Amino acid sequence: MAQQHGIIVLFDVENALRTRSLDGNTYWFDNMKFLGSSGVGTEQLETIVPGTYFLDGSQATEQVLNWLPAALGSIPPTVPRNYLAEQARAEDRRTLEELASLSAEGGVGETEVKQLQRRVGKRARKAESGRGLTPAKLLDVTGKATSSTEAYNYPAPVITDITGEAVTEKIIYPAQYGSPDMIYDGWYWAATVDTSRPGVYAYTVHVQLHELVERNDELVWESVDLTCESSLKIISDPKRNGFTGAGLGVLPLPPVPAAG
Amino acid sequence: MPPRTRQTERRPVRPVTITAVVDPVAALASENLDDNLYLYDTNKAAGSTGFGTPELRSRVRKGDTLLWNVLPLECETYVALTDIEIDPRIAEPTRKVYPGTDIVFWTAEVKQDLTEPVPYRLSFLLGTVSTPFSPTARPALAGPSDEGKEGR
Amino acid sequence: MKDRISIVVMVDAVGALSERTLHNGNLSLVDDSAAGSQHQGTPDLVTAVVPGQVVQWTPIHVDVQTPVEIHAIEFLSGAPVPPPADETVPPYPVEPSAVPVPWTGADATASNGHDNHDLLVWEGVVPYDMTPGVPYRYRLSLKLHDGPNSVLHIDSPALLRV
Repeated sequence: MAQQHGIIVLFDVENALRTRSLDGNTYWFDNMKFLGSSGVGTEQLETIVPGTYFLDGSQATEQVLNWLPAALGSIPPTVPRNYLAEQARAEDRRTLEELASLSAEGGVGETEVKQLQRRVGKRARKAESGRGLTPAKLLDVTGKATSSTEAYNYPAPVITDITGEAVTEKIIYPAQYGSPDMIYDGWYWAATVDTSRPGVYAYTVHVQLHELVERNDELVWESVDLTCESSLKIISDPKRNGFTGAGLGVLPLPPVPAAG
Repeated sequence: MPPRTRQTERRPVRPVTITAVVDPVAALASENLDDNLYLYDTNKAAGSTGFGTPELRSRVRKGDTLLWNVLPLECETYVALTDIEIDPRIAEPTRKVYPGTDIVFWTAEVKQDLTEPVPYRLSFLLGTVSTPFSPTARPALAGPSDEGKEGR
Repeated sequence: MKDRISIVVMVDAVGALSERTLHNGNLSLVDDSAAGSQHQGTPDLVTAVVPGQVVQWTPIHVDVQTPVEIHAIEFLSGAPVPPPADETVPPYPVEPSAVPVPWTGADATASNGHDNHDLLVWEGVVPYDMTPGVPYRYRLSLKLHDGPNSVLHIDSPALLRV
């Protein structure tokens, strides 16, 4: 059966936007350290891909890689991605309820209005948007609405492409897939691996970060496209029979089975 | 006392976030959290060190807001930060959840500038084990680096 | 008769590692035998087999990214007394033989300096001298990731010649 390997790329988004580079601002993980991945948790991850083949030479276990981006200092990806929209809506509901109760009481003080204004927060527009894009409310990293452009939660980085040696050499066939998994927003990059040609192959991940800028008294999201590199170490070993160590044989039954 | 610029109105800014990346399955199978815990913060530009180890040393200043959260390597596996033990004169972390979820984070305000690194202890719940796991290694909070000492 | 029977080993790796047991619903065995297996979906699966069939065990992890491999399958012996010396040739090699029973698998799992149990195919032919109507229980050892707590086993499943 297929063996799934998750590769998580953690981005220091704030530093990356400041330096306009992912150098020194990415940390790579997979869960294959025990099979020989090296550099887990650093910028120099080499992911082991332990291929197997049957004695006739055909590929046995299919190896599948999944890439999952995450932003350091943001609401973690375990919080459902539609959370931001849900929270913004919940804030709006509460504000409307309080407005209603204020007018019912017949008086609106300046402090109340200020409070409500803060909660309503700011909304950002995507650059050159015009249509089709929902203006999202700004949330801070604890999930509360914010009016501060210094405090907003960075949107999750988006992988836009995977290229490089491993792709041109046809070692991996990456593509974006839809998934019912809400944790990663229903979209993720995955690739199957050709493990028949062992070796170390580099690849490049293209990432889009988003930055909030103030333009003409308006807040707009601008995308910043950057790249980072990692590599795969493909190995391949023969499948063998667990009972015989070689080919198919008779099951090693005892002369008398255990009672019970 | 060093002269300070006028006390401006406090604007909300991003907290210094400390993220614990945990490989929960590896930690359970090996009963070793130290080798499967990777700590990072958002204050690298201020001189934090020990990235990717359980001995992260975060550079902080008095008044900074700190936020701790967790990123599990296997996203289906339960990992939660269940306690942070630190000298209460330095910080008193409180447990919070992202509104409307059961996902935990902790926040604290740094109460004073630090002259010595202050180690602290993190505890995690992994999988369905009811006893918390704690790394042997200790992360720490540290004051501004020597070269960074303000002479203004 | 089917010439091949598949026994699927489904594991909740995180549950098993947390509770350090393959019981408590952390392991489920199912097979596709048409000959009347019992206790499907439990660790007590009794797989109905006939001689000549190939039985294959395949591990499946419930949580997709956790590696689960079969560490060993050892049939449990109830005979403290060795078979009589004049017994005809046993159905499998007994010592001293080039292939020990159970074979440990140590060499075949070595991969790039690491142990990779994914390299092993757990399958074998049901021997013709298997006693009918008697369950042959086996110890199924699974390896979940790596480390001192990673190997867990159960002794409850069995093959039964019908």
